[in-house]
Parts: sequence; C-alpha cells; structure tokens
Amino acid sequence: MINLKINNIQVKAKEGSSVLEAASSAGFDVPAMCNYNGLEQFTSCMVCVVKDRNGGALMPSCAVKAQEGMDIVTEDEEIFEARKTALELLLSEHSGDCEAPCRIACPAFMNIPLMNRHIAQEDLQSAFEVVIKDIALPRVLGRICPAPCEGACKRKAVDQPVAVCLLKRFAADNFKFIAQPSKPDKNKAVAIIGAGPAGLAAAFFLQSAGIKAEVFDNHEKPGGSLRYDLDEKELDKAVLDQEIEVIKNCGVTFHQNSNIDSKRFEELIKNYEAVIVATGNYTDKIGSWGLENNGKTLLVNKSTYLTNIEKVFAVGNVNRSGKLAIRSLAQGKEVAKIVIELLQEGVIKGKSRKFNSVLGKLISEEFPEYLNEASSDNRYEPGNDGFSLEVARKEAARCIHCDCRKPENCKLRNYAEEYDVSKKRFAYTKRKPVKKHIKTDLVVYEPGKCIKCGICVRITAKQKEKFGFTFIGRGFDVEIGAPFNRSLEAALEKTAREVAEACPTGALCGF
Amino acid sequence: MISTIDNIINITGTGKEAVISILQAIQKEYNYLPEEALERVCEITEITHAEIIGIASFYKQFRLLPAGKHFIKVCIGTACHVKGADRVYDSVKRELDIGDDEDTDSDGVFTVEKVSCLGCCTLAPVVQIDNITYGHVNPSMAKKIINDFLDNNNKAKAVRTLKPVKDELQGEIRVGLGSCCIASGSGDIKEAIEEVVYKNDLNVNIKHVGCVGMCHQVPLVEIVANKNKDSRLYAHVKPEDIKPILDAHFKPHNLFKRWKNNIESFIEKLQYEERWEGIEKYSIDVREKHVHAFLGNQLPIATEFRGIINPGDIDEYLTRGGFSGLKKAFSMKPGDVIEEVTSSGLKGRGGAGYLTGVKWQVVAEQNSDEKYLICNGDEGDPGAFMDRMLLESYPLRIIEGVIIAAYAVGASKGLLYIRAEYPLAVIRVREALDNCYERGMLGDNIMNSGFSFNLEIKEGAGAFVCGEETALIASVEGKRGFPRYRPPYPAEKGLWNKPTLINNTETFAQVPYILSKGYNKFASVGTKDSRGTKVFALAGKVNRGGLIEVPMGITIRQIVEDIGGGVQNSKRLKAVQIGGPSGGCIPHFLADKPVDFDSLEEAGAMMGSGGLVVLDETDCMVDIARYFLSFTQDESCGKCTFCRVGTKRMLDILEKLHDGKAVEKDLDELKSLAEWTKKGSLCGLGKTAPNPVLSTLQYFHDEYMAHIKGVCPTGKCKPLITYKINDKCIGCTICAQNCPVEAIAFKPHEIHEIDVDECTKCDICRQECPSEAVYVE
Repeated sequence: MINLKINNIQVKAKEGSSVLEAASSAGFDVPAMCNYNGLEQFTSCMVCVVKDRNGGALMPSCAVKAQEGMDIVTEDEEIFEARKTALELLLSEHSGDCEAPCRIACPAFMNIPLMNRHIAQEDLQSAFEVVIKDIALPRVLGRICPAPCEGACKRKAVDQPVAVCLLKRFAADNFKFIAQPSKPDKNKAVAIIGAGPAGLAAAFFLQSAGIKAEVFDNHEKPGGSLRYDLDEKELDKAVLDQEIEVIKNCGVTFHQNSNIDSKRFEELIKNYEAVIVATGNYTDKIGSWGLENNGKTLLVNKSTYLTNIEKVFAVGNVNRSGKLAIRSLAQGKEVAKIVIELLQEGVIKGKSRKFNSVLGKLISEEFPEYLNEASSDNRYEPGNDGFSLEVARKEAARCIHCDCRKPENCKLRNYAEEYDVSKKRFAYTKRKPVKKHIKTDLVVYEPGKCIKCGICVRITAKQKEKFGFTFIGRGFDVEIGAPFNRSLEAALEKTAREVAEACPTGALCGF
Repeated sequence: MISTIDNIINITGTGKEAVISILQAIQKEYNYLPEEALERVCEITEITHAEIIGIASFYKQFRLLPAGKHFIKVCIGTACHVKGADRVYDSVKRELDIGDDEDTDSDGVFTVEKVSCLGCCTLAPVVQIDNITYGHVNPSMAKKIINDFLDNNNKAKAVRTLKPVKDELQGEIRVGLGSCCIASGSGDIKEAIEEVVYKNDLNVNIKHVGCVGMCHQVPLVEIVANKNKDSRLYAHVKPEDIKPILDAHFKPHNLFKRWKNNIESFIEKLQYEERWEGIEKYSIDVREKHVHAFLGNQLPIATEFRGIINPGDIDEYLTRGGFSGLKKAFSMKPGDVIEEVTSSGLKGRGGAGYLTGVKWQVVAEQNSDEKYLICNGDEGDPGAFMDRMLLESYPLRIIEGVIIAAYAVGASKGLLYIRAEYPLAVIRVREALDNCYERGMLGDNIMNSGFSFNLEIKEGAGAFVCGEETALIASVEGKRGFPRYRPPYPAEKGLWNKPTLINNTETFAQVPYILSKGYNKFASVGTKDSRGTKVFALAGKVNRGGLIEVPMGITIRQIVEDIGGGVQNSKRLKAVQIGGPSGGCIPHFLADKPVDFDSLEEAGAMMGSGGLVVLDETDCMVDIARYFLSFTQDESCGKCTFCRVGTKRMLDILEKLHDGKAVEKDLDELKSLAEWTKKGSLCGLGKTAPNPVLSTLQYFHDEYMAHIKGVCPTGKCKPLITYKINDKCIGCTICAQNCPVEAIAFKPHEIHEIDVDECTKCDICRQECPSEAVYVE
C-alpha cells in the first residue's frame, strides 16, 4: 500500500493505482472523461488534472501513479480554471444541441421532442406524462398557445416546423388523466392569490408534490384571464372547466370571491407557510400590500420570484405585463418547485437551467443527416377537431430528433454545468457540418459531438472487431470512425451497445 | 498487386511493428496506398484494419489517394516562409492550374505539397521536384523550374567509369555533397569534374566531403594540389567552370591528352574571352577576411574536420583520430564513462537541456535483461538542419558516440531514427553502418572489447511530434505517434517497455570528443551551466547562412554580425527566432544576450534543436507567430485537448489579427490561452507551442496593437495590404506581362495600374519592376 495525502487527508492507495483511482476510492470526485474502467488509460481530455503540492504543476491524474508521500490537491482555483478551459475548448468544436431548441423556447421547458417520439410510437400515455410534467393546463394551452416552440423548431430550415402545439393538444385531449388526490400535511399549507394560469399551475404542482395548496381568487369561477379575457371562440370554456376539475380532484382548495386587502394579506402571511401572489395584472391595490413595486409591476428576484417580504413570492403578469399564458403557467410551475424546496429543505434555491449546447440553424448539407431519422412529409394541418391518431403519428414522425440522446448522462454536459462553462468563449470559426451515422435501431454516431477520447477505439480493439473504430487523420482534424469508410454495421458488429454506453458524450448513443 | 504486397511482407515480416515499413514500401511502389494493398496487408499480417488506417492517416508521408507521377514539394520552413514561400506555393499551383482543394494537376503529372522543411534553409525559398532541388525560387520562376525539371527528366545521364587511382596522386578535389550543396547543383559539378578527370586522365582523388557549413557559398569545390599542398576554395561554382579550374591546377597525365587539351583550350579561349574572370570571381582564399570571420569564430567539435573528410570513409576517419574515443571508453569501466560524460557538463542538444550523464546513469541503473538505445534524428523544426548535416557529414562520429553510450548504459540494440525527408542522410548512415560492421566496430565483440552492440536505421514517416521521445517510441513500435505522459521516462520504461536511452543526434556527436580529449577540455568551453559547443542552422535574412558550431555563451550579435556577416540588404535586425516552433523571438535589443540554455529560456525562447532564423525590419511578428502556430497546430498529434484544440483556437485568434478583424479583448484571450496550453498540454510539443506567441506578444506588443487597428506595419499580412503603382512607373509593361491574373492592363509608355479586385498579392510585379514603382500600402 502507498501512503499519500489527498486534500490534506492521509489515504492509502493500492500499488500501481493512479492518482485518479486513489482519489476516487478515498471519496474525492475528480472529473474524468477519457478514462474507462478496464481499458488502458489514454490521457487526452485533461479534465482530470490535479496538483501535487510538491512541485505544484498540473498533472493528469489518470496518468500519474500514486506515490509515497504525494500531497495531492484535487480542487483549487487554478485546477477549476484548467478544467473549465479544457471543457470550453472541447465544447468549442461541439456540433450539437443538448436540448432541442423548441424545448429551450418553451417557457415551460416541456420536453417536446420526447412527446413527439411517444406520439410517433402511439404511446399516448407516455406522451401525456411528458406534457403534464411541465404544463398544468395542457388542453387549454393546446388551443391558445402562440407556440414559440414552433418558431424555434429546427425542421423549419428544411420545410415547415413540426406542429408541436397541436400535437400537445392531441396528447392532452386523447388521454384520460385522473389525478391522484394527494393527502398532504394539513398544517402546512401554501396560499396562492389568483386562479389564473400562474396560480392554477402553482397550485397543481404544489398539491401534486404533497403540499396543501389553497387558492384565493376574487372571481366567481377559477381561470382568471383564461376565463374572463378570452371569448368562447378563442377558448372553449368547457375545456377550461374540465382542466380545473382535474386540479380540484388533486385536492387543491379554491376560495372563490375572496377579496384580499392588506389586512387579509397579512393574515395569509401569518397563517401559511408561504404566499404566492399570482393576481394577474398589477393594480394599485396590490401595491398597497407593502410589496415593493415601481407603480406598474411588482419587483421580485428574477431567479427566486421572492418579493421584499419573506416567504412571499410573486409570479405571472403581476411581475411583467403581457398576455402570454404559457409564460405565466411556466412561472407557476417554477415557483411551486422553489416553494417545495423551501418547505422540504429549508432553502430557497431559485430556478436554474442546465448547461445547454446550441448548434444553431441547420445548413442545407445537414438536412439529409437529420431526415434519415424523420419523415420527409410536409406539415399536416388538421381540421378544427385537431389531429386524428393517424395524422398525429405522421406529424410527430416529422420531428428530426435534434435533441441529444444523452441529455442526462453526458459527462461533457454535466461537467460543463459543474464548471460554469461558456460554450461561446472560443467560438471563432464556423462549426463542422453535422453528420449522423446510424446502425439501425442500435446506435447513432455523431462525429461532431466526439471528444476524441478513443474509448470506443480501445473497446473495439479489445473486443477484436474485424473493422472497429480508429483514429483517422491527426491534430485538430482527427476524427474517429470506421476504417475504409465501412458502415457502422460492419464496424460495430459486436460492440455497438458497449461503445454507446461507454461514450462519455452524445457522440455514440443507443436508440 | 497481391504478389507485390506478399513480397514486401516477406521482407518486413508480419508483426505489428512492421506496419510503417510495410506502408513505406507500398507507397514507394505505387506513390500512394491503394486500398486493395492495405486489405491484403490486413489479411496476411497481425495488423488490423483499424491499425493500418490509423497509422496511414497519421503520418504525412502516406497518401491514401493516388498522386501525380512527380512530387513538387514547396518548402515552407521558417527561412523559406520569411522569403515568401507561400507565394511560391501559390504560383506553382497556379502554373499547374490546380484548384484550392486539390493537390494534383488534371493530367496527373504533378502533385504539389507543402513540406515543413527540406533543410536547405540557406537556399530559401526552396522547391524540390522529385530529387531535384531548386533554390532561391521566386513566384515568377514557377514555370521555369517545372520546364527545367521536365527537360532534365527526359535526359539520360551519362555513365562514366573512373579508373582506379594509381601511382602518385596529383592532388585532391573536394566537392561538398551536403544536401545544400547538392540542391545548389553540386551533383552536376561532380559529374563535370568526373568528366574532366576522365577526359584528361588526371590522377587525382575526387573526394566527397560533407557539409562545410558555408551553405551560403554553395556549391563549393576545393582543390588541393600535391605540388605545393596549396588549397584553393571555389564558391558558387557552375559546371562550365570546372574545366578551367581544373586546367589551372592539374596538367593532363599523358602527353597526347595534354596536347589535345591545349588545342581545345585554345579554341575555347577564342570563343570565351572572359573565361578567367568567371573563375576569379568564385575563388575564395580561406585566409580572406569574411571566410575567416565565418569560420574563425566557430569551434568544431561535433563538426570536426568539416569539409575535409569523406563522410563514409572509415579509414580516413580512423587516421584522423576516429574511434579513439571508443577505444578510450572500452579501456574504462562503463560507470567511469558515465562519470566522464557527467563531468563534462554535456547537456542534451535536443532542446530541453537535460544533463546527458545523469540520463545515462538512470538507464545504467535499471535492472533489465535488455536495454535499448535510440539516436533521435527526427529533426522536424522548420528552419533547422543540424541533424541532417551531422548525419550526412559525420555519420561515423555519431555512430562512435552511440556505441560509447551503449557501452556505458549496457544497451545491446540501437536505432538511428532518421526523419523521412532526409534520404541522403539515410544513404550516408547506411554506408557508414555497413563499413562499421565490416570493420568490427559494430556487431559481436566490438574491437575485441567483449562488448556487443547492434545498430540499425529506422526511417520516420513524417510526423514532427515523433521528435518527442515517447511519440518516437510509439512510432518505432508501429503505432500512431501519440506521446504519453512522463513519468515513467523512457530511461525506465521505453521501447517495448524496456529501459531506453534516447539522445539527440548532436549529443551523440559530441561524445567521442569528450572521451578522447577528456571531460576537462570539453568543459573548458562554454559557460558555467552550458558547457561545450552548440550547432546552429543559421538562416533567414543573414548574409552568410549555414551550419555553424559555436561555443556556448557566444552572443546573438556575434552570431549574426561576425559569423553571419550581418543582416542581408543592409536592413536592420529585428529579432532572431531561436528554437523553431518551440522557441521564441529574441528582439534586437537583447542581441547581446549570451546563447546558453538558461539565458534563452529567460528571454522566452529555448535552445530547441538549434534553428536560428534572422528576421529583419520587414518581417511581421504577428505573421511569424501565426506561421509557427499553424505549423504546430498542423503537427499536433491530436491527443490532448489543450494542444489539439488550444493551438487551433490560438491560431484562430492570430488569423483574426492577420485579417485585421481582431479586437483588444482577443489579445487577452490569446495570452491566457497560450498560458493554459503551456500548462495543460501533455507533451513538449503542446507545452512549448505557445512560446512563439508569448515571446512576440511580450516584445512586439505594438505590432499586435497595430493589427487590431487594421494595419500591418511591415505590409506582410495580405488582407491588410494593397499593391499600387506610383509615378516612378516607366511604362515598360514588365509588370503587366508577368502578372499571372491579368490584374494589370498592358499600356506601353503609360503609368500602369493594378486592379485591386483581381490582384492576388503574389508580389511578382513588385519583384519584377525595374524602377521600384510598385509599392505596398
């Protein structure tokens, strides 16, 4: 055994083990991408750099053997910057989107491409689950949303955007959703002022998470602007009623015709764990409740929706006038999450979006690469009743799957998030065109997302593939691929699943 | 094809390590690597498809696409670059009508390639067509050299047999046959000499000598007549000068020939009145001041007997004291040999300057059944040709040094790893090796010492990174030239995981001297921490370029002014680029810095392998930084992130500067990225690649700032300049006639104009204009 110090703690390491192994078996998390269990180390990504206090130079921990008397530091400012710079360099040549741009454009961050894929496979339950995860009133929104998602759709460059909004309506209309009534702690309740889209969404997500939500609204019926600002032509109120019924069935309590004045407001603050102001448009009356404002809107923390009063949050049009129901709905969801965390963990975390690599508009030579996986039909336009299953399936199949297949377990993305990386830092040149190689139903290879760590090369060599993968060329232009331009089928006869699993990025992914 | 491949493999063997040799043989056969051939290799050897493509696409020597019948290699080494190699390249491609993304003409006759350095820096810009090298090429000469090549190619060479030397020699004729000499035409000179000697039946010894170092004077011929032992050196000799020169020194051997010769000379005299003038012009007396200045400040140790000995002649080497160092070593214990080398203070000449004796000690201490030795001759720096010259001219000295080292560390097998672009070096070394084996200097029981050692040549395949020792080892093992993290150092775990001593060629060339003359003699030269001498390739904007060997501690000014005879064309010295892509630019105001390991590093450069390129006031430092970065970026193996992507992003910023599109913030990022690349790269290539950027940023910040404002002060960055004609124009139409893109209208007797939209900034008009009317703005 070897005795060394890691982050000032004396640890023992097995003879011949690397500093990376020593650190991780001592419980220190050192990021690493090109290292893979059971394969000889290659040392290319350079994100695993650490320092030995004796000497102080940065060194790749995967390549350095643990030695007696080492005094390793796995984290400090210089190491952080080195890893960050390495990740930024890797991302500067990363051609791909983490999330589809439609999802990024959606204020509710709904996983649109995933919904599309479920519809295309006629898995309507899964499709609905994707929708309801982020959108509390999907049937309503499926009718009134101006669909910023479709404006961002990558398919637009090829022909027309995917009819996302109508597909969402289809998903919501065609699945009978029965909310499970939750039985929350009666003594811990959150007051929500206003039963418009923001208030309804906040109430729905709080109640679904097991927190009692009580809505105080000054109208006769819940719905706010959805009910009172839209005429029947714009929105069939029966649909709204049905959606509100679902929320009521969850267990949300509605106090209609409640007139909140400053006295009542103070009582709410006193009696509830948190108060969410979702009144819709700002009025002077709201301004008199003691909430900080500029005479037109309330002033809140943009990340946490917290007002100047402790435990009081505000969302929706009261913060920023405008008539975008989906935005209010999204904020209702976000504030619910923040309040849930406050009540469950005692901290206000604020909203956050994970690091996202953005490819940008498709260029024509990339169209065929994407259309390989999609229907090449033009956009389907349904009648007033929305899509039939048959047409919905066809329309959903137009989605080109531009989102990454490893959005959760891509190391590059996760480290980029952890090291607060900017993808734009080294964006000096145009990206390389996207290429997608597909081994039917098994694996997709996108060289533009490859970090040239060679794990796949080592795996195919180890498993004695006839062709396998190899490094082609050298330097910045080096690519990994099959020798002699062989197909993926030929290259990965035995190892398709294994390499997809092992690839640290979305370059090689399973279906 | 299959049988050809099978024959190749019969020779190379079927092991994985043979892959590079196999590919070299296939390429030699077909000029490229046909897929069918590679498939066959995979079928009958241990080499897999993935490996063969991985390797074929890694090394520059290999082509996967068919090539033309002839290769035109345009050297873009540093010395050539500063003298306009890019424009030469463009003009050659234009001449052959080859598109931007192509490299072969439509008839499949010529393939045009850029090559990082042909090692003929004193003849810059240099273009090589197959085996013929053209020096001092300018863009307007593209057509001329291509035609000349085609003419020559069609001519059959006369074959002549010379009689063996007999009786008393009339004297000796020494012809320099280093690559520079050959490139400048010494092969033709040699033929001319042989012809005269044959015709006149002269009884002289025609001797090929290695590089004299005076590459700025090539081709050189030295005549030593026996009568008076007087030696006479002729510079810039042309084949037609040979007869008069030889006539002046030697009388034909037999009477009839003498008489015939007289008549012929008489007739010739009638025809060529000025015959003597020409020769006088070329004659240099070694006592002459500038020759003395060039040679007098030098101290030949690695290059001892330069211009005197025949590189491959083992007898001559022996009579001049050759192998006495080895004899001495064999009389000592290996440990004492190491002690001797350590005491001499010799540091590795490959760049980093590690103490040679200490390295030997580490290898000697390893407990292993087998140890290897590698002589690193993979010199790839653009603007450096020391290793090439040493290998071509002093192969025996290098071999002697290698054997001494092998004895000291206990190595039983050795390799001379020689760069692919140095075919002549390979020939010379092979000849020397054969001679050594024949004389028992290699093989079993060398010189009855009981020590056995085998040495062979391994040819590189064109990858700068293989100068890095771990990459070199990977390459010898038949893999892609990926370096790996050190430690373990090759001294502990090297070739085939055995302890391996790797030293640079020049280091080995210094060793025999230390042994034969004693460590004290060597240590008395140089400075406290940098002992002995250093060989430099002096080139660029200097009057007298060449291979020089100087004591450590000499100042840059002494090198440039005294040895180099100052900057060309009376321009002012701007900087000296030392150490190639790993080194830096030392500005003129630091020219009094001594040249040694520490001072150079302190100034932001490094010894590197010893390229020394002189830059004058017309050189753009942003362009120089961009030049080196594009070199290292191109040569990066592509393994570690900082080098693979970091150098590319640095180059992106330099391109922005070059195009006048950079902003001040880009300079901060450039510096920051340079520092991270230095800190974060895996091997020496990446760690030193930022040096040219950092040193120019430090010393020439103003020039970077000027580029941000859209101005290239020296007018070198093409996107920032325009060509114009002023009223000095005499209307001679030469510019219009020479313009390759018809950007100048033909208007006799009028002031000409350049159409800026058509102009490709090839510089031909400016070079051709007789009245200096073309200028750059």
